[in-house]
Amino acid sequence: MLDEGIDSYAGSERYSEAEKIALRYSELMSTNPDAVDAAFFDELRKHYDEEEIVELGIFIGINLGFHTFFGSLKFYPLFSPDGRLLTQEQSEKLYGSAPVSLKKETAP
Amino acid sequence: MTHIAPLPLEAIADPEMLELITQAKALGVPDDLFPRLIARAPAQAKPIMRAMMMSFTQGHVDHRLKEIMRVLLARFAGDKYFAALRSRKAQDMGLTEQRINEGCYEYENDTKGFSEAEKCALQFADLMYLDASQIDKAFYNEMKKHWSEAQIMELGSFMVCHYGMQMFMRSMTGRA
Repeated sequence: MLDEGIDSYAGSERYSEAEKIALRYSELMSTNPDAVDAAFFDELRKHYDEEEIVELGIFIGINLGFHTFFGSLKFYPLFSPDGRLLTQEQSEKLYGSAPVSLKKETAP
Repeated sequence: MTHIAPLPLEAIADPEMLELITQAKALGVPDDLFPRLIARAPAQAKPIMRAMMMSFTQGHVDHRLKEIMRVLLARFAGDKYFAALRSRKAQDMGLTEQRINEGCYEYENDTKGFSEAEKCALQFADLMYLDASQIDKAFYNEMKKHWSEAQIMELGSFMVCHYGMQMFMRSMTGRA
């Protein structure tokens, strides 16, 4: 579901309209902030109250900020998707230099 | 005008939030619009305000350098709100508008008189959200010639917090 939310939420049947607009807010803030306009906020208001919209905006903004910085520091998760403790070298090999789907790592 | 209206000051009852707003107004960054807006989400508002104020005004890096970095980032983010604000503390320490512009656009020019440490920090801000791939091991090694690891983390955390909220305000107000 995580991968679907990142890659193809717009056409997914697993996400509600409220979830889709929140995911779109997240996507547009980083890729096309000019599209976050009055009409977009009108659409957000159909699903969220103003407290929730501000909460989402703060959450997205701070994530935009820190993922870029943390990425530059080149440190990797301590654990594998199935919970094994990893060295940084093992983790770098598993997770790679850029975020990718972990679907195949977690498949039974 | 923001897409979501800030709360009136009278609608904010939390004493710590009111104190944070007073401190921010005295500093000039942010003014009271931003905290009144995020006060709509009270659980988020206080930690964000604390982090912004602390990362900007405390630590072991010159506040004037942080102010130049903050304006550089706000201009890059296209955030007209934070780009227009100025730190009174930095102004009182002698930071001028001309120096801010030199720091944003001409810091690499040796005739402008920025130290190698300042140039490196300004390049850190310049590259972070423009081309973070250039902030690699070699870049951090260069940073370490001028700044302690604590100062590098201080600068990074400061940028995270302020750039993140500049992008938030850009979404609330539209592009500069």
